[in-house]
Amino acid sequence: MRRKVSSTLRDQLVAEIGSLRAFAVSLCGDKERADDLVQETLFKAWNHLESFKEGTNLKAWLFTILRNTYFSERRKRRREVEDADGAYAARLSTHAEQHGHMDMQDFRAALSELPDDQREALVLVGAAGFSYEEAAEISGCAVGTIKSRVNRARNRLATMLGLDPEETGPEGEGLSKTA
Amino acid sequence: MPGVSEKLEHGAPQTAGGPEAIDAASGLSPNLQAHIGRHVRAVFDEVAREPVPEHLLRLLKDLERSGDK
Repeated sequence: MRRKVSSTLRDQLVAEIGSLRAFAVSLCGDKERADDLVQETLFKAWNHLESFKEGTNLKAWLFTILRNTYFSERRKRRREVEDADGAYAARLSTHAEQHGHMDMQDFRAALSELPDDQREALVLVGAAGFSYEEAAEISGCAVGTIKSRVNRARNRLATMLGLDPEETGPEGEGLSKTA
Repeated sequence: MPGVSEKLEHGAPQTAGGPEAIDAASGLSPNLQAHIGRHVRAVFDEVAREPVPEHLLRLLKDLERSGDK
């Protein structure tokens, strides 16, 4: 037995699918698998809607489900996934070749090489629009941990891309490279 | 007894030598942080803005229908 789901809530679910897919791709690096993850997330969310308090942060709740789904599956099939991790960068750069210019391609490749926890923190805070507090809740860790992961992620990207950490040029494109 | 001094090497606060614009925690200038931020968002938004795959919309419709049982 399930309560009748309000159409607003249903619309809100639909509205978050895009972000969920983007987050899933950032976790697993594979669009097909990402869509499977989103499908499972929507299914679980739907069947546990009674545990969601309407009016609270639906997006954070959905991201938490997706993340937990991803990591528990990953734990289950660790060996398989180690192969997948190796293929991650290759897949993403193939993807980049189909779109985008050199700049984005470099960036995407660098992003894919970040340690999983750093990439996750950077994506949650830097792209998905969560606060450090929300990101910490989604990832099940302390706020300080998220902050340091985000900092390490940025530093690592800057190093990988040969960007000058003290760049103070005008806001905009075209940052100088030290390498 | 081995020396304990080696233990101190980690965790020294990063005091960026540059202008105060440089974020003390990350050591990166606001411009560089913004640059990285734009790119992370671009990678994310590229997927987020794609049309929702038909099968995911269908799933929700199916769930909705089965919820009425």
